[in-house]
Amino acid sequence: MTEGNLRPILLVEDDSSDANLLCRAFEKAHVLNRVIHLPSGDEALGYLAGVKEYADRTLYPLPALILLDLKLPGLTGMQLLQWKRAHENVRRIPVVVLTGDKDPQTVAAAYDLGANSYLVKRAKSSEILTMVKAIDQYWVKLNEDPLLVTGADAGG
Amino acid sequence: MPEAPVLLVEDDPADVRLIQRAFGKLPDMIKVIRLTNGDEAVSYLAGDAPYENRGTHPMPRVVLLDIKLPRRSGFEVLEWLRRQTTAIKRLPVVMLTSSRHSVDINRAYDLGANSYLTKPDTASQLEDLALRFQEYWLSLNELPDLHTGPTAKAPR
Repeated sequence: MTEGNLRPILLVEDDSSDANLLCRAFEKAHVLNRVIHLPSGDEALGYLAGVKEYADRTLYPLPALILLDLKLPGLTGMQLLQWKRAHENVRRIPVVVLTGDKDPQTVAAAYDLGANSYLVKRAKSSEILTMVKAIDQYWVKLNEDPLLVTGADAGG
Repeated sequence: MPEAPVLLVEDDPADVRLIQRAFGKLPDMIKVIRLTNGDEAVSYLAGDAPYENRGTHPMPRVVLLDIKLPRRSGFEVLEWLRRQTTAIKRLPVVMLTSSRHSVDINRAYDLGANSYLTKPDTASQLEDLALRFQEYWLSLNELPDLHTGPTAKAPR
């Protein structure tokens, strides 16, 4: 177990029914990490930057993984990827794009902006559960987390 | 057309044997092409001699890359790959190494590794790793189209 494994999973998704299905699947899969749902790209940027209430890293720790929809109100998923890449303390946090768009150009653009992986949304709840289990098995349990430079760590 | 192979770049013959045995036990047959040093990996991916024929030396779907390699290191291979101007720059790279040092982990992510896995201690753990790897990267994940043009259009 590494420290990063216990950090939350950030779910950036504007569609509330998609978000509910995913959150339920995480519960059903007995994923131990807290899933924090944020409904827009701006909200996700605020969280990652530690703005306002998100400055409290005890309550809102930097995530182990970001699940990112691309079509979002305001700041898009692509723009969030771009922003994240330019910010030292968050740029290594793995991002799994989770979207309905399967267009090869979109897939290519997401990888170019540093997405670690690209998943296409599933419709059936059984498929969503399988996907969520695989995300947990791979990214939370198997993958080695980067060492994050957090404010508290940096300050000693 | 047969499924594209996995490219394994690993110099240690004992590790290669263990990894190939683990992949051999998977329910689905996965073709693994093995190269022993960083220079060979670059030549293979570039399609330089003796790998010009893509019929016999097909482009892989995913690269499993060790760090400590003779000639060019895994980091140098990764750096070279991400610098390319064709679509192969998006080829997913999963580091598979014995190093658990956060310096190495962070460097791999900084150079554009999609994921970082450490070599497990036992054969059964390695079989589990091979299964998770296959489920995630060869089945669930949407791979970039390596024949798409080099410049991805940013979505509207």
